[in-house]
Amino acid sequence: MLNKRNSTFVFALTVSLLGAGCASTPKTSETSDANDPYEGFNRKAYGFNDTLDRNFFEPVARGYAKVTPEPVRAGVTKFFDNVNYINVIANDLLQGKGGQFASDTGRFVVNSTVGVGGLFDPATKIGLASHDEDLGQTFGKWGMGEGAYLVVPVIGPNSFRDLPNLASSMALNPLTWVNSIVTIPIGVLSAVNTRANLLEATSIRDQAALDPYTFVREAYRQQREYKIYDGNPPGEGYENYDEEKSDAAVLKIY
Amino acid sequence: MRFNSYLIAVLAALCLGSMTTHAAESSPQATVEKLHGALLETMREGKSLGYQGRVSKLEPVLRGSFDFSTIARLVTGRHWAKLDKAKQQAFITVFTQLSIATYADNFSSLSNERFETRGVEDKKNTQLVKTAIVKPDGKEDTLNYALTKSTDGWRIINVVADGVSDLSLKRAEYTAVIGSNGIDTLIAKLNAKVASYEAANK
Repeated sequence: MLNKRNSTFVFALTVSLLGAGCASTPKTSETSDANDPYEGFNRKAYGFNDTLDRNFFEPVARGYAKVTPEPVRAGVTKFFDNVNYINVIANDLLQGKGGQFASDTGRFVVNSTVGVGGLFDPATKIGLASHDEDLGQTFGKWGMGEGAYLVVPVIGPNSFRDLPNLASSMALNPLTWVNSIVTIPIGVLSAVNTRANLLEATSIRDQAALDPYTFVREAYRQQREYKIYDGNPPGEGYENYDEEKSDAAVLKIY
Repeated sequence: MRFNSYLIAVLAALCLGSMTTHAAESSPQATVEKLHGALLETMREGKSLGYQGRVSKLEPVLRGSFDFSTIARLVTGRHWAKLDKAKQQAFITVFTQLSIATYADNFSSLSNERFETRGVEDKKNTQLVKTAIVKPDGKEDTLNYALTKSTDGWRIINVVADGVSDLSLKRAEYTAVIGSNGIDTLIAKLNAKVASYEAANK
């Protein structure tokens, strides 16, 4: 939830760091299937984000989770989901999901009004279920390849296909267009709340991963694929598995 | 701890199932539901069992549900064929121990979650059993299991949690470690993980 000036700054920062990454791209990954030509840069960005997270975001999120009762956090999460929902609705339309577009529009109206500006979610109770769409998924649906994996400083895992969504979701978020006196504290709350919701996921990562960078990259890529196919990615089964062939073949066993 | 009728029904079915072992494992769904039943039981008794107790309880169930040697082959990718028999066996052993340790660590207590089977899909010679863990507040995580038929019946070769394939995650990490440091380093790292689960539960 950045305002316009901040978003321009983040964009400039990203581009300049990307430029630095493109200049030297040491390739350390085992296979080209990792889809990670900028691994050298990405690992640096990952390290930077991780340091920032451990020293700042995670402790703040833990503190926040400690002092806010669960229903409050749930309400805050719902509020931010709702202000982001115009982006979902726009992408329903771009993906030609007519029925979902209608129900999501209804959902946004109901939750913004009866749901007190999105703090509550009466829409789900009347059958208007929540959907998860964004511009990256739309591009995927249109047949675009995933694009190189990219770790965006401060923001985190991303890809060239998903990057434009950062701009579109910001543009379609009503809070972007409100005075920055309002949006900066709200933006901070959004970031902290999002991080608090991820505390469990990051503790799983810390416990299970041998190489957290690779772990996060693969989890990100798979989850994107899963979302593009709305939870039903086309698995090929075990029959076609061939050790000598691409390591990516194993991705299809589901 | 209170149990709803669904759980009681599942557990009752599992008790009946265990009396006729062969019948219970004759379908992919039965293999998965047997595993879920054992996980629930372990979670319910988690505190009193302790970590070692959970390891002992889960070990035979996990060995009977997962095809660890196939999984070990898949997660090492192209490197598998280059390993000699002894190294392959050493890797299977530590990988199996780590899997058991991970389950024993994670399924330590029950807060009224329940497992639901949503359906079975045929993916060529792999069967996909779609399930979900439903929390008391209604939130859920999907858990899809891929199974193949081995000589001992249907065995799990992959678990996909909310779209993230365990097989692919491990394969990406393990092949990276073998590629840069070799299989011995990977085995040492996995042994260290097993030890860290034990240490964390002391």
